[in-house]
Amino acid sequence: MRTWLISHGHACGRAVRRLASQPTVTLLSVLVIGIAITLPLGLYVAFANVSAAASRVNTEPNVNVYLALSASEAEARELERKLRSMDKVQRVTYISRERALDEMKRVANLSELLASLETNPLPHAFSIRPKTNDPAALDALRKEIAPLPKVESIAMDFEWAQKLKRFATFAERIVLLIGLLLAAAVVFVTGNTIRLQILTQKDEIEVSQLIGATRRFIRRPFLYFGAIQGLLAGLVAVFAVITFIWWAGAEVSALTTSYGSDFALQVPTLQQSLGVILLSALLGWLGAFMSVWLYLRRVSNR
Amino acid sequence: MISFSNTVKRYPNGFEALKGVSLTIEKGELVALTGHSGAGKSTLLRLAAGIELATQGSVLVNNQNVSHLKEAGLAVMRRNFGLVFQNHRLLFDRSVFENVALPLTIAGFSHIETGKRVRAALDKVGLLAREKADPVTLSGGEQQRLCIARAIVNRPATLFADEPTGNLDLAYAETIIDLFKSFNQVGVTVLLATHDEIGLARLKCRRIALDHGTLTS
Repeated sequence: MRTWLISHGHACGRAVRRLASQPTVTLLSVLVIGIAITLPLGLYVAFANVSAAASRVNTEPNVNVYLALSASEAEARELERKLRSMDKVQRVTYISRERALDEMKRVANLSELLASLETNPLPHAFSIRPKTNDPAALDALRKEIAPLPKVESIAMDFEWAQKLKRFATFAERIVLLIGLLLAAAVVFVTGNTIRLQILTQKDEIEVSQLIGATRRFIRRPFLYFGAIQGLLAGLVAVFAVITFIWWAGAEVSALTTSYGSDFALQVPTLQQSLGVILLSALLGWLGAFMSVWLYLRRVSNR
Repeated sequence: MISFSNTVKRYPNGFEALKGVSLTIEKGELVALTGHSGAGKSTLLRLAAGIELATQGSVLVNNQNVSHLKEAGLAVMRRNFGLVFQNHRLLFDRSVFENVALPLTIAGFSHIETGKRVRAALDKVGLLAREKADPVTLSGGEQQRLCIARAIVNRPATLFADEPTGNLDLAYAETIIDLFKSFNQVGVTVLLATHDEIGLARLKCRRIALDHGTLTS
């Protein structure tokens, strides 16, 4: 265990010294990788903010069932009983035609016009809150209600929610795709940096192998190099995104306040930031591993 | 003990460097491999050290068939060897101290133990005063001694040296030969490949002569 720790200490120390010995190259590599990570992180944060804003809007679907004008109060109550017994229904609110007319008079300020009518033109209605907002389940519910007696029409306001959901899924996939592509770019950029490092240390690798170094020993400093480089790039990306949100946040808040909303841009959480930094270090490690693995396979002295 | 049995080494281009060599080197022996350039001395050394593998036949080191060892096993075996290369193979971006410390770093020695052993090895070859120097500033003889210090720092049981006195003047060559004799006197098995007749006369040891990949004596 002690030997293992000493060996890792040596490898980590050498990686740090190599990074420090070429500050310009290190800085440029870290910035390139950092920018590559900033893009998907920025998109993810933007997506998270849009999702948060969308979640503030009431997107719960509602099903309105309008009965025929000929439906009596008793028939409406019988229908209410049937609706309440349905599995997919969470809550049923009965709106009698009289109540509907009263509300219309109050809300629409149409009392004079409505008073001139000889009969109430509004039907009995039900406002139903389904248990799910799944579009397929809502459609099934519509099909279940439609054939019931005295049901004249059904209005469902879930389609916009469905579109929003599809858009969110699409945006999520785009962010994921860009993230994957740029993660691959990070691996390749790190791999190339390590390849150049290997070329400058070719003699050392050869001599080390001759005098008893295992592949693991040879790989180790390069893996630390890649991981540290990735870690620094992750820090750059998190810093860039937080700085941007801080810079743009005030303007966004002013805009949303003018629309009567208290929405504000959210920076990545501590867990998300740490996750990005660790993922970035992991990608750097992976790029280094691939590069050294390819080199050692090529120069295998057996 | 190192044992070759009908060992053949054929390179991918078809050149046969060793053609069925059989010999045994006992523990604690000092053996000189002689022969002209291209006779197969270096190949025999490289096979014994596990740097290359035999095409046919076997090479046993302490009763272990080198060809059967995996990468990690081979690396561990090499850590028990000291290797002195014909072209030194020093690292010119590292100091004298760091060059000698490399085998100890690989073996996972602590900084304190590494410091002690490196200074002892440098003292043995007369380079202690140059520990911070850049190897490129050393003379040919000093570079060879540095290479020897790196080979002995791990206190190996077996020392392989390929033309250790090549390109050195007589005085330096004698110093190097005497170093190998002193290592052998403390029980280290030494296998030397050389065509330096003066050095051979000074060594007074068993000679194995090779010619075009076969043993002649």
